[in-house]
Amino acid sequence: MSPLVLVVLLSSLGLGTAMTFASSHWLLAWMGLEINTLAILPLMAQQNHPRAMEATTKYFLIQATAAAMILFASTTNAWASGQWDITYPSHPVTATITMAALAMKIGLAPTHFWLPEVLQGVSLTTGLILSTWQKLAPFALILQVANYTPPYMLTALALCSTLVGGWGGLNQTQLRKILAYSSIAHLGWMILVAQMAPQLTLIALITYIVMTTAAFLTLNNMDATKTATLASSWTKSPTLTAMACLVLLSLGGLPPLTGFLPKWLILQEVTNQGFIPTATVMALSALLSLYFYLRLTYAMSLTLFPHTFNSVTPWRMTAKRPTLLLSTTIIMTTCLLPLTPSALTLLI
Amino acid sequence: MVYFAFMLLVGLVLGLVGVACNPAPYFAAFGLVVAAGMGCAVLAVSGAPFLALVLFLIYLGGMLVVFAYSSALAADPFPEGWTEVTVFEQLAFYLLGVVAAGLYFGKHWYTLFVGMVDSCSKFFTIRADMGGVVAMYGSGGFMLVFCAWVLLLTLFVVLELVRGLSRGPLRAV
Amino acid sequence: MLKVLIPTLMLFPTTWLAPKKWLWATTTSHSLIIALISLTWLNWTAETGWTLPNSYMAIDPLSAPLLVLACWLLPLMILASQNHTRTEPISRQRTFICLLISLQAFLILAFGATEILMFYVMFEATLVPTLIIITRWGNQAERLNAGTYFLFYTLAGSLPLLVALLALQNSTGSLSMIILNFNPPLALASWGDMMWWAACLIAFLVKMPLYGVHLWLPKAHVEAPIAGSMVLAAVLLKLGGYGMIRMSTILDPITKEAAYPFIVLALWGIIMTGSICLRQTDLKSLIAYSSVSHMGLVAGGILIQTPWGLTGALILMIAHGLVSSALFCLANTSYERTHSRTMALARGMQMLFPLTATWWFVANLANLALPPLPNLMGEVMIITTMFNWSPWTLILTGLGTLITAGYSLYMFLMTQRGPVPEHIKGLTPYHTREHLLITLHLLPVILLVLKPELIWGWFY
Repeated sequence: MSPLVLVVLLSSLGLGTAMTFASSHWLLAWMGLEINTLAILPLMAQQNHPRAMEATTKYFLIQATAAAMILFASTTNAWASGQWDITYPSHPVTATITMAALAMKIGLAPTHFWLPEVLQGVSLTTGLILSTWQKLAPFALILQVANYTPPYMLTALALCSTLVGGWGGLNQTQLRKILAYSSIAHLGWMILVAQMAPQLTLIALITYIVMTTAAFLTLNNMDATKTATLASSWTKSPTLTAMACLVLLSLGGLPPLTGFLPKWLILQEVTNQGFIPTATVMALSALLSLYFYLRLTYAMSLTLFPHTFNSVTPWRMTAKRPTLLLSTTIIMTTCLLPLTPSALTLLI
Repeated sequence: MVYFAFMLLVGLVLGLVGVACNPAPYFAAFGLVVAAGMGCAVLAVSGAPFLALVLFLIYLGGMLVVFAYSSALAADPFPEGWTEVTVFEQLAFYLLGVVAAGLYFGKHWYTLFVGMVDSCSKFFTIRADMGGVVAMYGSGGFMLVFCAWVLLLTLFVVLELVRGLSRGPLRAV
Repeated sequence: MLKVLIPTLMLFPTTWLAPKKWLWATTTSHSLIIALISLTWLNWTAETGWTLPNSYMAIDPLSAPLLVLACWLLPLMILASQNHTRTEPISRQRTFICLLISLQAFLILAFGATEILMFYVMFEATLVPTLIIITRWGNQAERLNAGTYFLFYTLAGSLPLLVALLALQNSTGSLSMIILNFNPPLALASWGDMMWWAACLIAFLVKMPLYGVHLWLPKAHVEAPIAGSMVLAAVLLKLGGYGMIRMSTILDPITKEAAYPFIVLALWGIIMTGSICLRQTDLKSLIAYSSVSHMGLVAGGILIQTPWGLTGALILMIAHGLVSSALFCLANTSYERTHSRTMALARGMQMLFPLTATWWFVANLANLALPPLPNLMGEVMIITTMFNWSPWTLILTGLGTLITAGYSLYMFLMTQRGPVPEHIKGLTPYHTREHLLITLHLLPVILLVLKPELIWGWFY
């Protein structure tokens, strides 16, 4: 892909998200979402490969369907109430349809089936964009609409997502699919408090983006898309292998690491609201996700496969990939828990 | 007039069902034309004839392209009509779905309905649909720029997806 | 507190910057100095119940012995790990030492925390280094299974605890251990309250471990390298007991009835795990099951909620920590020579290593609670208070003591006496390092005979 085209596409990605962020009018928000969807398509399809094409098609169809639902809901809203304000869905039906469409856009559980397939079809870098940047615009809308949706819907979406995300990843060996299921589970955590405490959703989203960036970049650095490939990662970069273990456990939400921060705060909020059984189920569903993260750490860091490369010796070559973002996000992924009070102060 | 509008709505739904039940592209395109025409007619009956006219012209242009493209792409000697078994199964399924939804919602489906597009026309000197167009060009200038950019981007993306001999992913499939 | 915590954290740069030749000596001596400084915590001069170096960390007579134990264990773990990491590259040795140090830092923060939630976070934080020690540094392929068991047993118990703690914070407004005692008793009556009560204790009972949820422990002990076994037996299990003692002050009104099933399991576990010990062939597994058996007694002593029970539990935790760690070290020294944990394959060691046989003898006597040793003091206090609660428990506790003596004798006879098998001749003699290691374990146990009130906790 020529740099000029790339510039146009990437700037449109930015434009779409910015438009959705800035808009108070449903049409503009919808337009931002559409720009986002359109701009990512050539990036997804740039590998000339049937699976990439399939992923692009699936992604396009799903996003277009969801955007059409949003348009339908906002038109209905305007029809019923005479205004297009995002923050004022007058009728629960329109809010519900909008939330369903947004859930479909980010891949929450009952409408999650496209996400693993799509992520599996694209490269790790594009997958990173898909699972971080592409979530921002829908979340900006979710945070505005969540107040008007039925609370049971959010809780059901959340429980469903964390359980499906945990169970779905259990029998996967493909890393991108595992990351997709991890994304589903994390989104479930975020959506749970979208109504009770939107700022916690924001914290969870930010930490998730940081953690998943670290995970994607680590895998990208190791050129690994299968669990089997991870076994020899220790011969390429021992330090990264050691840190990757912590990154994965952080994604799993083990306490001294950053991943515990959103889980802790969300559980606290949910408990304070009196939904103790929900909180318990959510907490225990994190164990399901933790199991596949743990298996990845076993494959990557905690066992050393007694076999080195027999052809090229990658550790002798200087790494060409830029690692600044990787090292920054790894540090943030492992060490941010003590900054919880600052995060709360900044966002609440 | 209400019965007429109702007939048009039924025609719209039938057109959509005709597309959705997956017949050969000729018939699907025909269903699309029917749906578009009926939809525009519904708009016109509801009091926005200008909008309906503009929409119909745009649809017609698109529809011609779709029709030409599909007939060129799928030169089928024995096209599957709506009476074929596989198509008819889906047709029946969708029709039953429409009927079931209609029975389920009964008379309440239009409770959101607040009025015709032009129901307040006595208070205005211009027609509402034309007024909307004027307002869009008048005060929504930036939005139009964005719309133009979206259209350009769409064109761009489509070209990027299908251009070239080796790089066009559609060919790889 | 920071006098110990900051030097502990400074051990990280020490580990990475020390020259290769001096790596082990530097870290051992540095951590031993830290351990010696930590002994000052035992010198209790405060009039109040707590000494507060800052608002986040404090020491009271309950946590002081456990803190000292945690500090004491680090030099011993480093000493014990020298041999099996010898063949590793230097950077991996440094990483391994760093794991041990991080474990000590987390343990100090856990035992020193004044907030229960802080204690919880640090309690969980110890999981990661321990998991890495077990699964990265263990030997057999089963270590992966052991790591999974370890992590998931503990987390499945402790995630409900987190929710329970957050609910408690919501209702009382604070989770500070210092003022929690002054709360009015919670009115606990409904089934939900019972669930809350159980959630508060089960995490610690799993960690302890209670019989029935103990399956992770023998696996973890058998698969872990020596440092992992030592720290698990000596300190990590005690996190469970410590947490239970802390939590039980607020659980009070319904503990009397609700604790029955757990007391029953604990006492029954003493018999069952003791019986399992009697027919073990695997040396490390035997010691691990003996830990479960002793911890059953501790759990019973804590759940019974009497001053004698709590004091006995604390004494037994400290004494058992030192003794079982010593036993694991001894087992490891023989494992490093014979490369087998099967007792029948390494008999008659007394003939070959008489001084080590002495260590085995002393450690076994301490394990079966020989009279002047603190183990006896703890066991007798718990047994007495259990007897006072219900005389019938004497059958279980008395039988448990008998079985403990039985399997200790069995362990001693199987490893030290009998014919020397043909295949184990030509073993390397014991190093001074190993004798020092065992001495540093057993010396505190023996010295505690002279001044046992150091580990009597609150009720001295």
